[in-house]
This record gives sequence, structure tokens and C-alpha cells, in this order.
Amino acid sequence: MMRRSTRFVSICVSGLYAAGPALIAASLMACGGAAVPPQELLDARSAYAEAAKGPAADLAPAQLDTAKQSLQTAQDNFDKDGPDQKTKDLAYVAQRRAQLAAAEGGREKAERMRAASDKDLKNTQAQGLENYAKTKEALASEKAARVEAERKAAIALASLAEIAKVKEESRGVVITLSGSVLFATGKSDLLPIAKEKLNQVAKALTDQGFKAIVVQGYTDSVGSATDNEALSMRRAQSVRDYLVTRGVPSEKATAEGKGASNPVADNKTADGRAENRRVEIVVTPEK
Amino acid sequence: MLAACGGYPVPHDQLSAAQAEVKGAEVGGANENPKAALHVKLAKDQIAIAEKQMNDGDNEEAERTLIRAQADADLALALAKEAKAQNDAAEASEQVGKLRKEMSK
Repeated sequence: MMRRSTRFVSICVSGLYAAGPALIAASLMACGGAAVPPQELLDARSAYAEAAKGPAADLAPAQLDTAKQSLQTAQDNFDKDGPDQKTKDLAYVAQRRAQLAAAEGGREKAERMRAASDKDLKNTQAQGLENYAKTKEALASEKAARVEAERKAAIALASLAEIAKVKEESRGVVITLSGSVLFATGKSDLLPIAKEKLNQVAKALTDQGFKAIVVQGYTDSVGSATDNEALSMRRAQSVRDYLVTRGVPSEKATAEGKGASNPVADNKTADGRAENRRVEIVVTPEK
Repeated sequence: MLAACGGYPVPHDQLSAAQAEVKGAEVGGANENPKAALHVKLAKDQIAIAEKQMNDGDNEEAERTLIRAQADADLALALAKEAKAQNDAAEASEQVGKLRKEMSK
């Protein structure tokens, strides 16, 4: 591009200077009336057409109009004087004006896009701050809820410790209730005092939440194994059923009769036997 | 061939105007963008040619060469501004994209 236009200039200088009149005369004779438009004019026309197709049409109409007038001036000069140096110079300028209009249109378009992005950025930042505040709030209330749940669980456990033995074992939290406070000898119906205690157990369990409970009934070693197992099963079942009536989800609670197995004390003494007659509630924690 | 005879006024004003516009384009960052830099160079080359034409007494030709130079200098500045605006727009849109990505994490 640069080299070509420089060459044109130098040709025109030498042409006008030395062989100018002869050349012009020769070309006029050769072409007759219809002169061929110079490359500069063709370039200017296509540069204008291209600019008019682009954003300049809407965003730089004044510059585009200037380019159009420049092109017309070059065209007029060509129509009047043919492809002389003046036509070429005017066309060269017209081409630059068209390119300038295109560049102004491009700049305006980019500036509008940038303004839109800036606005977008502001909105997004505001949205981000809002989200952050919401998340913070949600985390805070979640934490408060967790603290409250832990507090309730601790209270529930503490209240249970007053009425039953609570031990944490590998199989879960084991709540042991003495058989003598739950049932009359040989019976599986709950005593009124037992119901009071089980109300507390049910409350503790529902407050704390759990995955599952297994109610296991145990007897001492007196009597036949078959009888003991049957009795321990009935007793476990009646405790389990009562807990369900007090809000423990039935699908989470099962009962097992363990008979005289797993004694916790000596069956040879009365105290030991009393200790072995018991109901254990094995609680599998939620997590 | 009137110019050769020296009847046409010397285009001093056009020369200083063209030189000032080249300066303006350069200050406007035209040399940092290849397309704009090309037109700065074209403008300078044509100013040099015009000076030679003036020395030779071809004032009318020199004036037209200087108008060409001015057109190139104008274009160089416009191209530099366009490139800067496009760069800024791309950066701004990238910033929005980054922030959105950050927020969706």
C-alpha cells in the first residue's frame, strides 16, 4: 500500500515534470472519450462502500457523509479532467476519509459496548454483594440452628441421665432402664411410672434425632430360656410400641428379645439378678 | 505546468498543519497500533515528498500531497482511537465474565 502510493507520487512528479504533456496527450488519444478510472478512485469507491455497510452508517453518519462528498469531488474531477494527478489525489483523500468514517464507527461501537459492560459489571457486583450478604445470613442462621439443636440434645441427654443409665458404646448410645421400674414381675404391661420415664426417653430421642433405635429386652437367668426369651421379647415390644405412641417414628424402631443373654451383673445374687432384668435402647446416631 | 513557473503560492500553512496532525496522531498512540502506524508513516513520507516538491517549485502539487498527508494523519489518529476503544471494551467484557464466573462458584 505504502510502496504503491509512493510510486504513484514519484511517477506523477516525473510525469508532470518531464514527459507530462506528451503522456497526457498520448493517453487522451489512445482512450478517446471513455477514460479508465485510476486505481485510487476504485479504492476510494470500495472503501466508501465498505464503510457504509459497517457501524459508521449509524454511529458516524457525519464522517461518512464527508467521505461521500470527497468521493463525489474526486468523481467529478475524473468526469471533467480524466485520470489526472488531481483526480488521483482527491480519490486518495476520499479513500482515507471513508476509512476514517469506518474507524470512527468502530470506535463508537466499541465505546457503547464498553459502557454496556461497565453497567453490567456494576450490576453484577451489586448482585454479588447481595448474594454474599444472603449467604452470610443463611450461614449464620444455619449455625444458630445447629447450636440450638446441640443444646437441646445436651439437655435431652442430661435429663435422661437422671432416670436411666446412658452409655456411649461402639454399637451406639445405650439407654438402660431397670426392669423393676418398668414391669411387675412376670408381666409385660408397663407400670404407670414406667410410662412417665418413657415419655422422657421419647422426648429426648425426638429432640436429638437419630437414625434408628433397637429396643432389647433382657431377663435374669431364673426360669427356662424359652420363657425368658418370650418374656423379654414381649417387654421389648411393649416399650417399643409405647415409644412409637410418643412420637418415635415406627419405621425407625424395632424390638428384640434377648432372654438371659449378655448379663451385666452376677445372676447368683438378688441385686445382680435385678440389674440383669432390664431394657436397653440402642440408639444409632443420625450421622 | 503553471506550478513549474512559480505562480502558485508556497503551501506553508498546509505543511505545518500536516506536521501538527502527524504529531497529534503520534501523541494519540498511533505508533502503538500497526494499522495506525502505517498511516503515520504514509503521512510522513508524503510530507517529505511535498517538501521536495516545494523545493522544486511545484507548489500546487506539494499542496495536494500535503492534503493527502493530512488525510493519512487524520486516519492514523482515528484508527488509534478505535483500537484503544476496542481494547477497553474487550477488557471490560472480560472483567464482567471473570466476575460472573467467580460468583457462580
